[in-house]
Amino acid sequence: MADPAAMPSDEEYAYLQKLSGEYQPEATGPLVGERQSSATITTQYATADPIYRVKTAALPAKYAYFRTCRGDGHCGWRAIAFTYFEALLRVGDVSKLEDEEARLNSLGNLLDHIGYSRDLWIDFAEEAFELLHKLARSLRHMDGQAADILLQTFNDMNASMAIITYVKLLASAWVQTHADDFVHFIDNGDVRGYCANNIEPTMCEADNIGVAALAEALIKPAGFGLEVWYLDRSPGEEINRSFHSEPTDHHHRPIPGAPMLRLLYRPGHYDILYKAGDVPQVQHQPALRQQPLHVALANYTDDFVPTATSVADVMNMIPGMYPTGVGLGQRWPSLSYDFSPSPASHTQVTPIQPYAPAPTPVTPVSTAHLDFVTPIHPNNASQYNPPSHHSIHLDQPPVTLPIHPPPPPPVSLERSAPMTVERGGPFRSSMYELEPGFGSSMQVQPFQTSIFRNSHFNTAHFRNPDFMPEQWLPDGEYSTGNKGRHKSHSS
Amino acid sequence: MALSANGRGNGASATVAQRLQKELMDIMTKPTPGITAFPDDENMTVWTATITGPDETPYENLVFKLSMEFAPNYPYSPPTVLYKTPIYHPNVDFSGRICLDVLKDKWSAIYNITTVLLSLQSLLGEPNNSSPLNGQAAELWDKDPVEYKRLVLARHKEPEDLDA
Repeated sequence: MADPAAMPSDEEYAYLQKLSGEYQPEATGPLVGERQSSATITTQYATADPIYRVKTAALPAKYAYFRTCRGDGHCGWRAIAFTYFEALLRVGDVSKLEDEEARLNSLGNLLDHIGYSRDLWIDFAEEAFELLHKLARSLRHMDGQAADILLQTFNDMNASMAIITYVKLLASAWVQTHADDFVHFIDNGDVRGYCANNIEPTMCEADNIGVAALAEALIKPAGFGLEVWYLDRSPGEEINRSFHSEPTDHHHRPIPGAPMLRLLYRPGHYDILYKAGDVPQVQHQPALRQQPLHVALANYTDDFVPTATSVADVMNMIPGMYPTGVGLGQRWPSLSYDFSPSPASHTQVTPIQPYAPAPTPVTPVSTAHLDFVTPIHPNNASQYNPPSHHSIHLDQPPVTLPIHPPPPPPVSLERSAPMTVERGGPFRSSMYELEPGFGSSMQVQPFQTSIFRNSHFNTAHFRNPDFMPEQWLPDGEYSTGNKGRHKSHSS
Repeated sequence: MALSANGRGNGASATVAQRLQKELMDIMTKPTPGITAFPDDENMTVWTATITGPDETPYENLVFKLSMEFAPNYPYSPPTVLYKTPIYHPNVDFSGRICLDVLKDKWSAIYNITTVLLSLQSLLGEPNNSSPLNGQAAELWDKDPVEYKRLVLARHKEPEDLDA
């Protein structure tokens, strides 16, 4: 045995062990931070392991923003709860908030069923309802305060802890009432014990089961999706998705364009992640409002880089330049408004619609085509009105383009240049413009019939890569017959 | 930091008082046999509680007095509970400190004073002998129930004798 003075006694050892067990690095920072550019993450890892460097360098291109959560052992729950409320704001519909309150209220039965005392959990639930009320009030008055109210509430330790406790109880109750779905992921199969030890304790971080339970109990019924992106040192060039719950309706059909909640998980810690499109651009970035044309062009120029080689394509994209065999009216069906010679009047036109539905077929255009020999019928030319918020057409009288045929090719090359530079243009958006993403939930089209939903005429499917239109099959009659018989058997 | 400090300040302690008020109402209207709890005269966040030893255990018919102290962030942190009555038990040390997971890292905000006291009561009959604070008691529990019972009674004092 060593010198007793050097060796800590059992008691001392237990004390030291206790200290080290209880040690927690002091968590700093706001409970939930402001949304910031995810380039910050790239900077944080600039001197880190190469794998981190590569992964974080690729991050901002896909996920433009992130929001920190304080790493105090609650960050996973906090991140999910916060993004849930934030997604409700993204929907921006008061009735959605009311629906959710009613739904959460009905989940109270679940909590009662598990045996939680209503007297106790109602305090936590009411904090969440209170927040819903405040957000609804703000939306109703359109005072633009909702996002701030949300952030402040989550930065109030008391309110924040109550809401976190509430969602944890929901998660625990969900796991216990859906034990069959979770029991295989629990080591000894003791679902109740697992919840008591891993979900209900005040100090316990959200684990996979907790996240999955909340995705089912809280997020999916609201029509939202949830993704967790994992940043660690595993080989790869990008962060990988460690959890995914698709937004589906109650018939398990995907909801196109539904809000997706995204979390960034680094071992032991959760933050919130956003794609550029998740973020309303209006309230916090007045600078961007000054250049709405930038937004309008963004759709249009997504996959086009104005290099010399693509000039032909550029010219091709300018409406009216190359009516390649197809009737103009067909190619630009949405551009039906009248051309007005006064550019000022165009500020009245909201520059949202025209480009999106009219992709220009990229026909291989050689420079030889630049001599504008393609004949344009005068009546076509006068009918056609170029989209007025396109700066290139406002630089000069648009009508002259088709009517004075051969402009020398160099001129057209020069003309393509301002297109990239003068994005600002003379065009300002209306102050009544809705936030991007506004009403995206309403795209679900509540009035559609099931026939229309499966129809290939339903444009909602344009965003669903897996869409299969309904087809008539010669065997169809038999299969329906089978189904019916099967049903009658089972019932 | 500033944000959370504000949160913890006035707002939080108001909630503690509110919550404890509610629990007191609950305890008075629906008393649980074998346990009592009541707040201090001046300080709502300090309570005195008693539990009666469960039948068919060495603690049968004995009454134990405890003190409970509630932090400003209760119920998000467990109350500090101490045995005021000297007790011979594997999971209680000689100054009355208790080793029970729900009073430490397994604490949940859904627990309350009644559930804590009920857990302590059941701990009397079902000690956790694998991580004892009182090693001798843990050993005797299985080995020599008669000697165990003798030591329990030897150490016990009636609540009335404590205050003197």
